[in-house]
Amino acid sequence: MNHEKCMEREHLFAYAHHLLEAAEEREAREHVAQCAACGQVVMEFQKLDAALEEWKPIAPSVWFDARVRAAVASERSAGFPFRLFGWRWAQILAPACLVLLVTVASLMISRRQPSSAPTERAAQSSAAQVEEELTLFKDLPVLEDEDYEMLANFDVLSELPHGEAKVEN
Amino acid sequence: MMDQDLELMLRVRSGDAESFEVLLRRYRVPLVNFFVRMVRDQALAEDLAQEVFLRVYQARRRYQPEARFTTWLYRIATNLALNAIRDRKPVAAMVQFEDGAKQSDAAHIADERPTAEQLMMESERERMIRRAVEALPEKQCAAVILHKYQNVDYRQISKVLGVSESAVKSLLFRAYESLRARLEPLLKGGQL
Repeated sequence: MNHEKCMEREHLFAYAHHLLEAAEEREAREHVAQCAACGQVVMEFQKLDAALEEWKPIAPSVWFDARVRAAVASERSAGFPFRLFGWRWAQILAPACLVLLVTVASLMISRRQPSSAPTERAAQSSAAQVEEELTLFKDLPVLEDEDYEMLANFDVLSELPHGEAKVEN
Repeated sequence: MMDQDLELMLRVRSGDAESFEVLLRRYRVPLVNFFVRMVRDQALAEDLAQEVFLRVYQARRRYQPEARFTTWLYRIATNLALNAIRDRKPVAAMVQFEDGAKQSDAAHIADERPTAEQLMMESERERMIRRAVEALPEKQCAAVILHKYQNVDYRQISKVLGVSESAVKSLLFRAYESLRARLEPLLKGGQL
C-alpha cells in the first residue's frame, strides 16, 4: 500500500479505541485490512492499551461502606425537621412561626401590665386604714396634772441633776 | 429504556434508602479506584469517594434525570479529584524541592508516593505504568482513567470534563502518544 494514502495516526488511534462514527469505522477497518503500515500502528495502540490493564484495581478498605453509611445517616438526621415537610413548606412555615411568636410575646407582655381596678381597691383599703388609726389616737386618754406629778416624782427621773442633762460630744 | 441507575436514583429521590445501598455497592469499587488513580493516595481516595456518595445523597431532591447517572457521578468525582490535586500541588512541589535536604519535614506532609505495602504488591511493570499515567497533565490523566479504567465513553467524558467530543479524542490521542513514548522500553520488552 502506498504510504501517502496512509491514515493519520490520530484517526487510527480513534479507530483502535472505537471513537469513530459507524461509517468512519467501517472505512478505517477496510483500509487497515489492506494497509500493513496502518495495521502496525493500530496494533501498537492496542498493545499499549493491553499494557495499561496491568495497573490493577484495588479493593476499598473494609470500613469504607460503614463510613459512607454513617455520613449519610448523619446527613439524614441533620435534615430531620425539614424532611417531614420539605423545604418548600419550611419556607412558608418559618415566617408563620415568627409571626405567631411575636403575637404570643405581645400578649404575654400586655397581661403583665397592672390594671386600674386593683389600684382603686388598694387606695380604698389604704384610706380605711388611716381612718382606723385616727380613731385610735382620738380615744387615747389625755394626761391630767397628777399624771405629770407622778412622772416628775418617778425615782429614776428624779435622780437626774437639773440643768446638767447635757450630752457631751 | 431508562438507565437502571437513573431509576435507582429516582427512587432515592423519593426516599428509598435501599436504592441508595444498591448504588453504593455498585459504584464503591469503581469510584475508590478512580480516585486512587487520580490522587495516588488510598486514604484520600476513600475520603473523596465518600464525599461523592454524600453529595449524591444531598442532591437527591434536586436530581433531574437529564443525563446518564454515571455522567453526573463522574462529573462530581472528577471535580473533586482535580480540586484535590490542585490543593496538593504546592505541598508536592515543596516535598520535591526539599527532598534529600529535609526528609524529616517532608515525612509528615501528605505523600504522593505509594506505601511500602503497595510497593510490595505491585510489579515493576505496574509501577512503570502507574508513573507514566501519573506524569500526564491532569485533564489527559482524567480522560485516560475515565476511558481506560472506568469504561466511560468519550461522549460522556466530554460532559464530565466540560469539553467538546473532538477535544476528548484529541486529549486521549495526545495522552496515549505520551504513554507510548514513556512505556516504550516496557512495550519492546515483550510479554504483553
